[in-house]
Amino acid sequence: MNKHMSQNTKGMIQLFILRFFAYAILIFLCILCLFFFYLMVVNSTRSNAQLARGFSLLPKEHFLENLVNAWNDASINIPRGMLNSLIIALSTAVLTTYFSALTAYGIHVYDFKFKKLAFTFIMAVMMIPAQVSALGFVQMMNKLHLNNSFIPLIIPGIAAPVVFFYMKQYMESVLPLEIIDAARVDGSNEFHTFNTIVLPILKPAIAVQMIFSFVSSWNNYFIPALLLDKAELKTVPIMIAQLRSADYSKFDMGKVYMFILLSILPVMITYIILSKSIIRGVTAGSVKG
Amino acid sequence: MAEVKLVNIKKVYPHSEEKKKSKKKDAPQKKTNLQITAEGVVAVQEFNLDIANKEFIVLVGPSGCGKSTTLRMVAGLEEISGGELYIDGELMNAVAPKDRDIAMVFQNYALYPHMSVYDNMAFSLKLKHLPKAEIDQKVREAAEILDITEYLNRKPKALSGGQRQRVAIGRAIVRAPKVMLMDEPLSNLDAKLRNEMRAEIIKLRERIDTTFIYVTHDQTEAMTLGDRIVVMKDGYIQQIGTPQEVFNHPANLFVAGFIGMPVMNFFDAELIREGDRFFVEPDGHRVELSEEKAARLKANGVQSQAVTLGVRPDHTDLTEEGISCKVDVTELMGASAHLHANVDGRDMILIVSTQDTKKIPMRGDEIHFSFDGDVAHVFSKEDEHNLEW
Amino acid sequence: MKETKRKKDGRQSVSYAKWGYIFIAPFFLVYFVFTLIPQFLTIYNSFFETYRDGLKQIGPNFVGLQNYITLFTPDADGIIRILKYASNTMIMWVAGALPQFVIALLLAIFFTSYRLNIKGQGFFKTVIYMPNLIMAAAFSMLFFTLFTRGGPIQMYLAETGAINQTFDFFSNRVTVRGMIALMNFLMWFGNTTIVLMAGIMGIDQSLFESATLDGANAVQVFFKVTMPLLMPIFVYCLITAMIGGIQMFDVPQVLTKGNGAPDELSRTLVMYLNGYLTNKNYGMAGAISVIIFIITGILGGIVYKMLSAQYKDPEQK
Repeated sequence: MNKHMSQNTKGMIQLFILRFFAYAILIFLCILCLFFFYLMVVNSTRSNAQLARGFSLLPKEHFLENLVNAWNDASINIPRGMLNSLIIALSTAVLTTYFSALTAYGIHVYDFKFKKLAFTFIMAVMMIPAQVSALGFVQMMNKLHLNNSFIPLIIPGIAAPVVFFYMKQYMESVLPLEIIDAARVDGSNEFHTFNTIVLPILKPAIAVQMIFSFVSSWNNYFIPALLLDKAELKTVPIMIAQLRSADYSKFDMGKVYMFILLSILPVMITYIILSKSIIRGVTAGSVKG
Repeated sequence: MAEVKLVNIKKVYPHSEEKKKSKKKDAPQKKTNLQITAEGVVAVQEFNLDIANKEFIVLVGPSGCGKSTTLRMVAGLEEISGGELYIDGELMNAVAPKDRDIAMVFQNYALYPHMSVYDNMAFSLKLKHLPKAEIDQKVREAAEILDITEYLNRKPKALSGGQRQRVAIGRAIVRAPKVMLMDEPLSNLDAKLRNEMRAEIIKLRERIDTTFIYVTHDQTEAMTLGDRIVVMKDGYIQQIGTPQEVFNHPANLFVAGFIGMPVMNFFDAELIREGDRFFVEPDGHRVELSEEKAARLKANGVQSQAVTLGVRPDHTDLTEEGISCKVDVTELMGASAHLHANVDGRDMILIVSTQDTKKIPMRGDEIHFSFDGDVAHVFSKEDEHNLEW
Repeated sequence: MKETKRKKDGRQSVSYAKWGYIFIAPFFLVYFVFTLIPQFLTIYNSFFETYRDGLKQIGPNFVGLQNYITLFTPDADGIIRILKYASNTMIMWVAGALPQFVIALLLAIFFTSYRLNIKGQGFFKTVIYMPNLIMAAAFSMLFFTLFTRGGPIQMYLAETGAINQTFDFFSNRVTVRGMIALMNFLMWFGNTTIVLMAGIMGIDQSLFESATLDGANAVQVFFKVTMPLLMPIFVYCLITAMIGGIQMFDVPQVLTKGNGAPDELSRTLVMYLNGYLTNKNYGMAGAISVIIFIITGILGGIVYKMLSAQYKDPEQK
């Protein structure tokens, strides 16, 4: 009896140590993740002079001032950049999800001769990064006078293998072919079936993928930087990089932190509201065990 | 209301598509003996059937026999590889489903999950651009018939299996289709609900005047619902007939074994012809076949030979003499008892009435049984066809 | 199909195959125009001498494999640049990926452990995943402002005496590479944790239970049951992370103003490519692109094999 008790106590102590260890690691990592962003937010509330004085974890009262300064900055037109990025990211998100769902539907539902080939092709090119065709892409867009245009940043979103793959996986789990048959018998044509029956069923997947494609378009730096050189067309990441290359010492640092804050703000707000479904969306579409 | 005519209908799945098709429940599976040609797997062939106006036809057979494929060809959901399909005399092979004036009820209900019951039922009518008031009237009428009026505003998710099935049927009947197609509509329901819905369909049939084609693997449904039933196996029709015809005169060993519960007993026996008289002799016990049967056998020129003899369990009687065997298991079912026994390595069942039998034989008891000459079926050992045919 | 194609009654065909083609057409059309043609153009360019010398346009002249030869020939300083940048990329990737995978595995096990029963999982996951969505350019800019001389962290560390007053994070190889690795780690460990966690949860729970009852301790369960079963997902994560690593660009580009300071020791392959692209030296850019293409192609091929394995037998899913 006594021996049992001590065994049990031993187990409890063991578990306590394990838990302590686990929580300590988790809390440390969370602090690490938040620390830099916390500093960013705090620093965006401090004036240039306050910042020059040194490190502080406490916010000050210059937030609005910095915001106004950043918003009205002459060389970095952040409101314009945010608008540009918003237009590109929203259009990309809509096109990517709609056409990926359409493509996945075409392959999921219909039987045709080149179906297997089409699927294999998309899977095979899924991992090829955009950088390796960037040269030809930029060259071609210059030839077509589409540099300094949003078209080459938006339209290619129609062909997004990763989103396609996600949609295909999702359809396999939620879309019974009988429903499509039922719609056919009910007199719905194929496009109508896709738009009124299938899209609503895919809503959760579309929502998640819209967020992901919005975010990756919003954050995209490499290709836009090669295409856009007109000031009024520049996107947020280009402006941030510009900030880095500018003569740094002359800058109002409070404003710089505000720029950085503004550049990640739309994504952060979306994330805070929808973090649950975003995290759930991360896992689908990868290899299953 | 319509006549449906299927002439030499054939379905071949090209080899490349075979894999995908096999995902579906009723498509070629490795178990079945579907014919494989250079073109692909032949799922249905030589399918000829004339369906009269307002007739209730049941296609029945084991999974992979081609019954669902046939139905889907009638619906226009599968291409017809060969042959012709007519509805009301018009060739339909290349007509889209929506122009065939058919409705279909699916096994998994196939309700649109994001629409209310009302919208599910109204969907096809909206696509036809009917006036709102008319749609409303039709939906409510159908809901009334099926007793689902109170659920009209619910989403399918909020309904039980039986209710969903009613909605699926409702969705089909609002359109007053020429032909109503049903693909195993009851197989996802539990036994009790299935019996209820079966009765419901019989009632429904009286209320709506239309031609029914109903697919099932369940022979009870086939027997109770069909005006005529079409028994299929491996893509071929085995027999077409009224339930009684199929039950009393199965065309071959397969039909005999498939239709009827419990399954028909089979014995190895000798068929002996003596002039115009025919006898069967299983296990040395001789029974003379009825005149009617003898006449048909004679007409077919059947001679003495070894046969497979079939007798339904409820057509056997305990006798003093006759075929002898030992009881393995006795199942008491109330009014009757099922005796399981083994004769010459073949399992068999005898049904005896508990009222008429003084002492129910139990496990280990030696019994003797026989049967009458008008209920014995003789099948060729060679090709398993009924020798009377 | 042929039967109905004849359209005996002159009306539409019942074959739905054409809809398959219609639905996938936009994807393939766009892919062809915006990716496939550019891809071929890129490869084509790699065999030509094309660059700008001041205002003068040189080429394009066909030079065969000369660009590739140049790429692998030591330059005036005796350095084969592409190898230097490739090794920079690899060092920084490994420095970030190693803790990324170790920590992610550890956290995935914490989160899925029935015994530990970690509370507040939703919060923890939300926090650790967040950096994944942050604009890399902005994150990098933030690091720069914080760590630069006169930046709050540099000042704080100097005040506390942890570093020399004049210490510059951006002129030291270890700290620059370290910051880049740290950012990559922060941006990706949450993502990996969540994917691995889903992988562990996908394993039949009763296997863990039976292993425990068989007398295995936590470490044994991990190495004998969890890890072998998690392997496909783990390898998938690892390879996709490698492909991501080869593309490393935004963070070092912004952090070092594109110069890969100090002494080009934080310059990555794609920064090298980007340099030639902005100088319009399309011949060399093409050759680098082809080399990156080949590396990612091989890694992508492995991923493809893994993904298609689960499609080989759709019925058994």
